[in-house]
Amino acid sequence: MAIAETQAISSIRSGGSITEALGGFRLWWLVVPAFVLFLCFFVVPAVSLFAIAFDKSVPGVVTFAGNFTFDNFVRIFTRPLYYMAILRSIGIAAVVAACALVIGYPLAFVIAKTEHPGRNTFLMILVLSAMQLDTVIRMYGLMVLLGDSGLVNGALLASGLISKPLPLMYNTFGVVVGLVQVTLPFMVLSLIGIIKAIHPSLEEAARSLGATRAQAFWRVVLPLSMPGILAGSLLVFALSISSYVVPALMGGWKVMVLPIHIYQQIAETGRWQFGAAIAVVLFLTSLLAVFIYHKAAARTAGGRT
Amino acid sequence: MRDESPIPLVFKVVAGLALLVLLLPLAIVVLAGLNAGDYLTFPPQGLSLRWVKAFLSSPVFLSAYFYSFLLALAATAISTVIGTLAALYLARSGSRAAAFLRGYFMLPIVLPGVVLGLSLYVFFTTTDIGLARTFTGLLICHVLVTSPFVIATVTASLVGFDVSLEEAARSLGASPWTAFRKVTLRIIAPGISAGCIFAFIVSFGQFETTLFLSVPNREPLPMAMYISLRYKFEPTAAAAGIFAIALVVISTIITSRLVSLRRVFRA
Repeated sequence: MAIAETQAISSIRSGGSITEALGGFRLWWLVVPAFVLFLCFFVVPAVSLFAIAFDKSVPGVVTFAGNFTFDNFVRIFTRPLYYMAILRSIGIAAVVAACALVIGYPLAFVIAKTEHPGRNTFLMILVLSAMQLDTVIRMYGLMVLLGDSGLVNGALLASGLISKPLPLMYNTFGVVVGLVQVTLPFMVLSLIGIIKAIHPSLEEAARSLGATRAQAFWRVVLPLSMPGILAGSLLVFALSISSYVVPALMGGWKVMVLPIHIYQQIAETGRWQFGAAIAVVLFLTSLLAVFIYHKAAARTAGGRT
Repeated sequence: MRDESPIPLVFKVVAGLALLVLLLPLAIVVLAGLNAGDYLTFPPQGLSLRWVKAFLSSPVFLSAYFYSFLLALAATAISTVIGTLAALYLARSGSRAAAFLRGYFMLPIVLPGVVLGLSLYVFFTTTDIGLARTFTGLLICHVLVTSPFVIATVTASLVGFDVSLEEAARSLGASPWTAFRKVTLRIIAPGISAGCIFAFIVSFGQFETTLFLSVPNREPLPMAMYISLRYKFEPTAAAAGIFAIALVVISTIITSRLVSLRRVFRA
């Protein structure tokens, strides 16, 4: 805050607009309400949740007892039920990121290359509306589509192509489809700007030097899209690994990922400390992904110069 | 130059598939809500407004819809005010504190929703400040997740803003407040409105953070739909979904008129 204050004072000396001087007004006053709200209701609760994860697990008791222990974490990493859930969560999120990239890149490419302003805005509105709509509603649509008596199985059974319904839902496949549906817009939005920024003359140069269209794409356009690909994949990975509602609905409580375990520990067995410990592991796994992303981003940036 | 489309055919096909993945579930919800039968089957049994009427007289879904609406309005009002103020600071201060705070205000959307909801629930319960499973507690949570969107949108609209315009108004005799109101506020108004709409939609569709915080028997719409989906596919829920889809599509169209969607999403 002290830095902000000096800044505000120095800008009062240099000029005169409202945010600089209004009697005793300081620029940083503007940020105080949001800062305090976030401090009281985000930082403090998040830190205390992390603190109770190191407390001895007593079913049904929430209060912080101060019995410092690593037991909760030892339990997570020694019981297959829990460490397999970590691996499953990571695996599903990685597969979802890959799928979202494969089908999201072409869509981003089409939007980036659509010059017609009306058509471009129309496509953006489609992507944004799909992104912003409540996930539960979208899962309703998918469930009606993929269930045992759903539209896909209904159509296949009626046409005689299959004799019993395909297992499209309440399994890992269903969870992956659901997560791709939810995260796809984030991938597309991360890619559009990067693809648009690649100057067409670069591709033309490669072509004029004898590259085929495919070669020009794989050797020039795709490597130049790398920052967007990495950012989009990270975002999709982080969103997938932290999703509760998609595995709950599309997995029918059979695909046990970390958020489902957190909910079960708290809501069903009342083991708050253990639930909090899983939450810490989930958060650290996301952070690890961010860390790997920064390493990868630094390397691709280094390779380009 | 070879005479060819700038977009390869394979890309067009896969892009079509991607749009299908995005939009088919929404089309299904609309179809399920307008379906004449008790259950959406293949082939559909014809269209009717039966379930829309059922939604409009449903004590569960209609009240959930209005509850969500009210919650989103309240969360939007608060986050728009504190978010805009914070954005004004972030855009104008070049200090290191501002750089730090930019990251700080994005934290609630970085933390997984279930973890955020859980941390607030534990906090409310342990401190016993009477906010656990109350409207106010839920509202605080929604303000936390909607503020980052207001801050990001308004900061984006302030990026190209030239402070000398405000100074010009001052030098022509306007008071600081008048200069701010008549110049700055006018220019960033579309950004604020867009941030407002984003905040509303984010709150309206918020599920994961709400999981631990919703008031029993006073569920917001996503929660009510979730409960219904776990046991049966009520077409009434799909009819409620139609109204939610309409709300989001209309809001997005309005936003696209107000601001450059690309600038806000850095796309």
